[in-house]
Amino acid sequence: MGVSSMAAGSDAMQLQLCVFDLRRGQQEGQELDKILFFYPSDCPFLTQLSLIGLCEGIITFTRIFSPEAACEVIEAEKHSHVFYEAEPDIWMVLVVEKSKDDEPVWRCEALQGVLKEVHSLFKMFYMSIYALLDKQPSGELARSHLHSFITDYLSDFQLGKKVQMPSFRDSLKERGTVQMLTVSREVALEVQSLITAISSCCNGCDSIILFQDLLVSTTLPPDDTTNLFSYATLRLTPHALSSSTSSSWSYLRKGNSTPNLSNLTLLNEHQSRSLDASSLGQNRQISSIPRLLQRDKWSKGKDGFLVPNFSGGESTPVVWNQQTEECKYLCVYQQKGITVVMLVPVSSLANGEQELVQVKKEFLENVAQRVTIVEQKLSRGWGGENAYHVSGYRYLLIDRDRSVSRATPTGKVTTLTKESLLYLNKLREEVDIEKWRWHRDNPDQEKELEVCIRAKNNAWVIAKVTRGKELYMVLEKANETLLYATDAVEKFSNRYCEGAFSMEY
Amino acid sequence: MQTRAGSSGSDALSHAYIQSPPIRCNIPETKGLLYDDGNKLLLSPTADRVLSWKVGAPTEHNPPNSDLIGEGPALSIRYSLDQKAIAIQRSNHEVEFRNRETGLTFSRKCKQDSERILGLFWTDCPTCDIILIKTSGIEMLLYDPEQNSLHIMETKKLNVVWYVYTHESRMLLLASGMQCTVFSGYQFSAAAGIVRLPKFEMSMTKSEANSKPVLSSDDVHIVTIYGRIYCLQFDRVGMHINVYRFYRDAVVEQGSIPAYSSRVAVSSVDNVILAHQLDAKVVMLYDLFLDSLSPISAPLPLLLKGSYGTNSRSTSEESESISNAYEGMIYVDSWNFLVPDLICDVDNGLVWRICLDVEAISASSSDVPSILQFLQHRRSDPAMIKALCLAITRTLILEKRPISVIAQAMDVLVASYSNSLRSGSIPSATQNTGNRNNHATDSGVTSEQAIVSADRAKSVIGDSSSIVSIRSPSTSDDTVNPEESEEPVGDRSLKSAVPQQMASHGASVAISPDEMHRFVFTLVEDEMSGDPSYLVSVIVEFLRSASREKLKLNPDIYLMMNQLLARSNQHANIALFVSNKIIEPSKEVAMQLVDLGEQNLKIRKLGLDMLRLLTLHHDYVSVLLQDGYYLEALRYARKNKQTTGCGKMPEVSACIVV
Repeated sequence: MGVSSMAAGSDAMQLQLCVFDLRRGQQEGQELDKILFFYPSDCPFLTQLSLIGLCEGIITFTRIFSPEAACEVIEAEKHSHVFYEAEPDIWMVLVVEKSKDDEPVWRCEALQGVLKEVHSLFKMFYMSIYALLDKQPSGELARSHLHSFITDYLSDFQLGKKVQMPSFRDSLKERGTVQMLTVSREVALEVQSLITAISSCCNGCDSIILFQDLLVSTTLPPDDTTNLFSYATLRLTPHALSSSTSSSWSYLRKGNSTPNLSNLTLLNEHQSRSLDASSLGQNRQISSIPRLLQRDKWSKGKDGFLVPNFSGGESTPVVWNQQTEECKYLCVYQQKGITVVMLVPVSSLANGEQELVQVKKEFLENVAQRVTIVEQKLSRGWGGENAYHVSGYRYLLIDRDRSVSRATPTGKVTTLTKESLLYLNKLREEVDIEKWRWHRDNPDQEKELEVCIRAKNNAWVIAKVTRGKELYMVLEKANETLLYATDAVEKFSNRYCEGAFSMEY
Repeated sequence: MQTRAGSSGSDALSHAYIQSPPIRCNIPETKGLLYDDGNKLLLSPTADRVLSWKVGAPTEHNPPNSDLIGEGPALSIRYSLDQKAIAIQRSNHEVEFRNRETGLTFSRKCKQDSERILGLFWTDCPTCDIILIKTSGIEMLLYDPEQNSLHIMETKKLNVVWYVYTHESRMLLLASGMQCTVFSGYQFSAAAGIVRLPKFEMSMTKSEANSKPVLSSDDVHIVTIYGRIYCLQFDRVGMHINVYRFYRDAVVEQGSIPAYSSRVAVSSVDNVILAHQLDAKVVMLYDLFLDSLSPISAPLPLLLKGSYGTNSRSTSEESESISNAYEGMIYVDSWNFLVPDLICDVDNGLVWRICLDVEAISASSSDVPSILQFLQHRRSDPAMIKALCLAITRTLILEKRPISVIAQAMDVLVASYSNSLRSGSIPSATQNTGNRNNHATDSGVTSEQAIVSADRAKSVIGDSSSIVSIRSPSTSDDTVNPEESEEPVGDRSLKSAVPQQMASHGASVAISPDEMHRFVFTLVEDEMSGDPSYLVSVIVEFLRSASREKLKLNPDIYLMMNQLLARSNQHANIALFVSNKIIEPSKEVAMQLVDLGEQNLKIRKLGLDMLRLLTLHHDYVSVLLQDGYYLEALRYARKNKQTTGCGKMPEVSACIVV
């Protein structure tokens, strides 16, 4: 334990993440009750309390001036504190260490994006933190859920022994957006028809279809789509499945590769803590939480459906629709590159999961073959991992209206120099602020903005924002004139964005 | 679906019926009825004359034509195809030829002892006019009307027991052998000349060890369906009907269909095969389009129906009385089945035409896609069949049948439309050539009738739309104009092309995408206000079929989709459909999105993006101005050198200054 706490201690310097409820622990001596989650979990309570105390103080203070949006970030000398009010009075705060040199390594909005994402995934599976607190006012239910969930979520950011938050190297990515596969009209119609066939398997059944790690179609509203898409790309797609199986090749190796967040120790540690506060009955409840973000828990069954294998809980996971607050079974069917995520309303099945077998059977009988056909068509038109690479350009394209983004593939981004990426990170930070200000002053109108920067390393770093669409671009080894840069953007815009960014002066 | 008013006895279930009133040929002193299928003439010889009725012409009150043929027996009478001469078979050894203009006659006789004349027919084959079939072989003869003489062009020596020929197919089958199961086949067509088929043998089930049944000419039927030529051979012992199809270089057995009677007759109505089970007094229907040998429907009796109520009252009353009198006489022994769809009642001197009750057929099956397929292949009364197809499709949607069924139905209808576009039966500049090519490639032995029937379909269309009011009830739609069928093919197409193209407007069976939108989706939408997403799924299936056939669609259907999606608040779906072009961009759609976007900014932007994509500069600038994006509008206008939208520019500059 000593070794692990030392390791955790050095982590604590680098990253802290906490969730707390301002309404709780109002009386002196009960401050600990505010804390719903703290990472690292072996951090001394005193440290935890002092961080939460600081945050609470700042929130209370800034609320005087801005009751709606209290505090976004504290920039201290050595740390950045990023705030996110997940639910009213329930705050998530992420503390990251600043680098030694001047350049900011993090972008506030990207870090907030992480908090947003983990929270909306949490909501998808457990409705909300509020709901859990309501269910069990002592908070242990919420704590145990948050604990396992966020810990599992953070395991994806783990790099060696450290938890690595998205940094400037990820500035050509946008968390919380969906990446879509571009298909021909003919295939789109085919897919749409498949979607209808899927929904006829069961009344009120929603579905999203992915090909590789890209979304093909959805019947869900945008926010649900985004959540389910994130989950699918994290845990369900062929890519996600294969990467997790490779890491869990053997128990031994698994133990080696995830030393810090080894689930078992965390759970033990947590249980020992919860024993203090709660009864034995609740403890049993805790151990039966299905840990839906745990790795390696989905495996492909013989019939093509993915089989969940979570410790405890129901065998078929349940998700919540954000708008309708409807509870649905999560069924995943996979065939080669295609992943069909079906959401079957719990209320539509009188006998619960037994009837789900019937739905699956019907799917296999009537739809599975069409999935094969669509898969073949999609893979025929699929340009591979680098399909959306445009040579000479390193770009990120965001459509805010549809929460869709497309970017240069990760492999190609790594060819950029650190300098260019740092510039881009900085530029994006500026654009974020500029957009935020504009929105505050002109709620009805959208920001139009264009920035072209010639960086010290002679790269062009470009940002264009127009009517809900954003384009970020890095051009290295490019000609030195501004005309060249704008021309390059123009070409790109006409070719790949239907002329959305083509505005000349 | 409520076209029939004055039908009698229609409460009974039936898929085929004979239409009252029949053609009456029961004139006293006549001796029997003969049929000349080359000219579609019903012939009734008297002592020294022959009376003739044109089948299909309004015969009700028309007196028959009469020709002098002199005294003597007449085993068969055949008018030449130009109707200038008459050939009368007087005996087994003598045929008399009579020039109708000059009245001159001469006879051709054969050797009394060694051969017998089995029959003859006139042909439009380029090398000869008459084919004479004898027990010792066939003679191809050229007729010279001026000299009133014959020249032998070619003879083929072979043993013939009996023969079968139909002018419709131009096919001659010569039976030989002990059991008469060995066949030689010839086709005499205007286009391809004489085609000789390889010899082939029909199969017969043996009854007992030693007795070998002999095939009778009554049991072999040549049927022309969809321009293809089939032969149906009734195997009395095996109680089934073998089906053969003729190709230029082969005869291929297609399988067999069961028989339920010891006597079977075959007709074909509108490319449907009717197998009359005479003893069982039922008829079975087969559609060989997709080479399926399963019947379309259950065996049901042939009915007698009165005329359409549209004609004068007296006629229908009269027909009523005939119907009543004739009831119970269906499939009597004296019935003679004529090619392709006539029944001649020799005893009563009546000729009936068989009709299909497509409504009854479509009502009797629950497999809607295949019924639609069946209907789309029918050529008679296209307007009615189209209306029926539309009604069936509407019902399908209103009943909310599974989307998979709808998808199949859409596939059928759209494929049929696209086929008729390609084959040119829906008017287009290349109508006639397209038609001919199509048939030449897809039917093995190209029957002359292939072209005729295709053309006929068109002339039918002309009939129904233009002279519907004067049409006598006995005139079926399936009528070839007399003048037309006798002219050489090239000539005919030239003459008929223009008026037929005009006439066939809107009278094809095929349903265009536009009609689908107007007569199905729009009507259905009004009725089923509750569930837009079901209708959207239906339309998506339609779009899928249309895209498979590469049909161009009118923006109306997309406007409707947007409307439906917006009504059910599926804005994300609109965005998805627009972005993957399921909803194809057009100015109409763009402007609709802009309007729908009054409530939803994202939708408005979709419309705006579409305007820019379509380079509709003027509209794009106008919408930008409306939304208050003055700078962007100005920039865009300048960039695209757009001056038309700049009438508003002064106001704009004013706005900016303010």
